[in-house]
Amino acid sequence: MRPRARLGGLVGALALFASACTADMPRPLAGIDRQLDQAGAGQSPSLAGRWLALIAARGERQEVLLVDLEGLGPVPLPGLNRPDAQPLAVSVDGGGERLAVVRQLEGRTELVLYRRRAMAVERIPMQPAGVPRRVSLRADGGELAVEVSRDGLWQVDLVRLP
Amino acid sequence: MVLQDQASGRLLPLRHLGRHTPHHSPSLSWNGRYLAVLAGAGRQRRVLLEDRATGRLHRLLLPPDLEPERLSLAPDARRLALEVAGPGRARLRLFDLAALLEPDRPPGWLGQGNAGAGRP
Repeated sequence: MRPRARLGGLVGALALFASACTADMPRPLAGIDRQLDQAGAGQSPSLAGRWLALIAARGERQEVLLVDLEGLGPVPLPGLNRPDAQPLAVSVDGGGERLAVVRQLEGRTELVLYRRRAMAVERIPMQPAGVPRRVSLRADGGELAVEVSRDGLWQVDLVRLP
Repeated sequence: MVLQDQASGRLLPLRHLGRHTPHHSPSLSWNGRYLAVLAGAGRQRRVLLEDRATGRLHRLLLPPDLEPERLSLAPDARRLALEVAGPGRARLRLFDLAALLEPDRPPGWLGQGNAGAGRP
């Protein structure tokens, strides 16, 4: 009886594991993938609502791209991309209105917030001083999390945005 | 992998993701119901998604030639974007999750017209 009971326990545990873990095949969005391939190599994707922000290669340069996934394609971002800046990470809010960007400019790495309607770029200082790396904007655009290097340590700062 | 409730500072339990390491590129849905991560390294790297409401772990099966480097889960959990390594350059691949997951809508979401707004 004891081996059978042990076998029953094993089968029960496997059934429990199987019910708690599934292998799923997501549906590729091949049409959008093809358009993105044509737009250039893509890095640092950020999805929110109908918006996809990414860093695309334009020859030797890289620039931030904002794509409306509901058929309208890339939208203009006047004032954000500069020929002397190298974007490293980007995050978009759910309204497609705000983009947080980590970029290298004039030898330093900085975090900026871009407001699309105002076409304005605002630098967000690291306090205390540090080097930002990755950024994630909350979907309502009211707060961001940024990964910052300080004295060899990686930390996460939360920054409220007005 | 640590999940923290910012309002209370409390660390929230994860049923599965604590057991799969190393993790990269965590991405949360709007209400924190879903947490998607990359687990493992190189060609063995997998996309895992924990549903905190049901306790279920979704292992997403990707085409075998894809080596994911970074991911982004849409706040409503309807889509997933992957940065994948390619010959000489990175590419993006998007996936529709609508058939796999219930949406995680923002509070006060009223319908299709608000889908893009992402605001409570």
